[in-house]
Amino acid sequence: MIIELREFTRVEGNGKAEIVIEDGEVKEVRLKIVEGPRFFELLTLGRHYYDVPDLEARICAICYLAHSVASVIGIERAFGVEVPEEIQLLRELGLIGEFLESHALHLYLLVAPDVFGYPDAIRMATKHGELVREGLTLKAFGNRLRELIGGREIHGINVKPGGFGRYPTVEELEEIEKQSEALIRLAKRAVRVFAGLDPYGEKAEHFVATDGYLWGDMLIAEDGEPFHYTDRIEEHSLVYSFAKQSHYKGEAFFVGALPRLLLKAEMLTPEARRLFEEHRKKLETGHVSYNNLAQAIELVYSLERAGEIARTLLDRGIEGENVPIEPREGEGIGYVEAPRGLLIHHYRIDSEGKITYSNIITPTALNHAMIEASLLREAKALYGETDEREMVQRLEETVRAFDPCISCSVHIVKL
Amino acid sequence: MMEKLKLGVFELTDCGGCALNILFLYERLFDLLEFYEISEFHMASSLKTENHYDVAIVTGTVSSHRDLELLKEARNHSNYLIALGTCATHGSVQASVELPIREKLKAVYGDEGNPMRALDSKPAVEYVAVDLAIPGCPYNKDELYQALMDIAKGVDPVRPDYPVCIECKLNEYECVLVKKGLPCLGPITLGGCNAACIKSGLGCIGCRGPLPGEVNPASEYEILRGLGYNDEYIVKKFKTFARWEP
Repeated sequence: MIIELREFTRVEGNGKAEIVIEDGEVKEVRLKIVEGPRFFELLTLGRHYYDVPDLEARICAICYLAHSVASVIGIERAFGVEVPEEIQLLRELGLIGEFLESHALHLYLLVAPDVFGYPDAIRMATKHGELVREGLTLKAFGNRLRELIGGREIHGINVKPGGFGRYPTVEELEEIEKQSEALIRLAKRAVRVFAGLDPYGEKAEHFVATDGYLWGDMLIAEDGEPFHYTDRIEEHSLVYSFAKQSHYKGEAFFVGALPRLLLKAEMLTPEARRLFEEHRKKLETGHVSYNNLAQAIELVYSLERAGEIARTLLDRGIEGENVPIEPREGEGIGYVEAPRGLLIHHYRIDSEGKITYSNIITPTALNHAMIEASLLREAKALYGETDEREMVQRLEETVRAFDPCISCSVHIVKL
Repeated sequence: MMEKLKLGVFELTDCGGCALNILFLYERLFDLLEFYEISEFHMASSLKTENHYDVAIVTGTVSSHRDLELLKEARNHSNYLIALGTCATHGSVQASVELPIREKLKAVYGDEGNPMRALDSKPAVEYVAVDLAIPGCPYNKDELYQALMDIAKGVDPVRPDYPVCIECKLNEYECVLVKKGLPCLGPITLGGCNAACIKSGLGCIGCRGPLPGEVNPASEYEILRGLGYNDEYIVKKFKTFARWEP
């Protein structure tokens, strides 16, 4: 017998799941990504490097800037270009905007209705209007940062190899500094809401993240030893999904907010660090549902860090100089933390600056096996214990905890 | 009190941005909800209350049989259908990969072929008639807001018919094509984005698709060639969001 979960709601993109029951027991769970394939790697082959980040941004709207930045870093590494601290800080500010926008969307509009027992945030707003509006305020501020750095709320083209089309002004940075401080209060409330939830889902055993907080030169896992994705991560196709599946040393693993906190807590800003310590015991159990709490703590981190960056840039002044780029043959990987986890852009470029190879692995594709493991555990625990409707709803919540971004997950090219 | 219009949002294959951008209306979303009741919007709600929609919005390309069925459902069960965003109106980036679907699948998934009944990506408007098409990658959310308000009030929404250049001039941005020699598709691209990319000092990438009517891609082609861009580069640029034939 197969229990079919209809297409997930309150997640980004189109996916569903099947639970296979044999002899009265849950045998297997299949996560089916039904979103059509979009062939981004084929799209970028033969393209001039300069246009590629704008195209790659279109992979995902929720985290377009993570794609732009990962793409730009991959291209710069292929050419052996290093950008100065100013450009790095501004990119970081954009990524922080994306964390705020994406985490606020996930926590307040997609997950909170489960917590308060509503089908959506709009209907939840009748009784919990203030919370919904707080979420929208954080999301709007995140988008303000994305617009400032990326050029538009969605799919801006301002992030370029070597720098930016337009740099922010002093007035804009002053506004960012002021607002980020004012909003921390809201983010701390979110931490309280999500800290109170009972754990569910699988306990993850392997975590992977970039070696810096928002991006890195290499990846790290529990052993702390830096590595490249090609050394420990393998992908394969599935007959029932447009997204491929990845394994870390042959096993399911977790990327996202919880892995970031667990692997990189010492890089957090002061208040976020304090909140991490306060909830450390829970987080360290590795329950995937604590990803929601981890995202709430990252809201605090993002606001504190946005203020720090704005202050640093205001103190030093903005130079607004791009690094000139001379194409040459090369290969580069951009590792970036998208809000929902590790994102990899890998390119080879020829001497004229044209892309000859591209491989993109997105967080949801990396988490695919972990999501299935989590569904399996929940399904085993719930089957026969609750009615089917309750079970299906609970399984959807388990998927939702990963903050899956299904549109993004379907672009992996075969090596 | 007036009965609210039933609104359905249907996502085919895309980046999710068109549906997301509706939520980016923030407070104005609540203004819209004075006139509309959301009956289907699976990114935002677990509730599906209706089988008939006064207004349906469809985003994305048809890239699988699932998409095609969903699109037909949206068309057959709605009075007014809006194709929203460049995927739905022109196919956008994913429709620009020119290989046949079998070869594309083979390149990505290996020899296992077509696991899930994929189709070549095509805009929704190629399969069904729509009442309004709002392009843009992303579309301008003010334009959507105004259109939904107009429809609620029984007014035909305004359809922009001028190039991006007009908005550039109104904002007094420096012409990046003439002054900087950047490849800018503004002269042949439908305006309505408030020249967002030129605001960043960069060239228009043509995400809103061709200007209807008197568009002259041949002349744009010559200008870009004159600036030193080669044929292959220009053709790729023309074909990215909409399938311009130079």
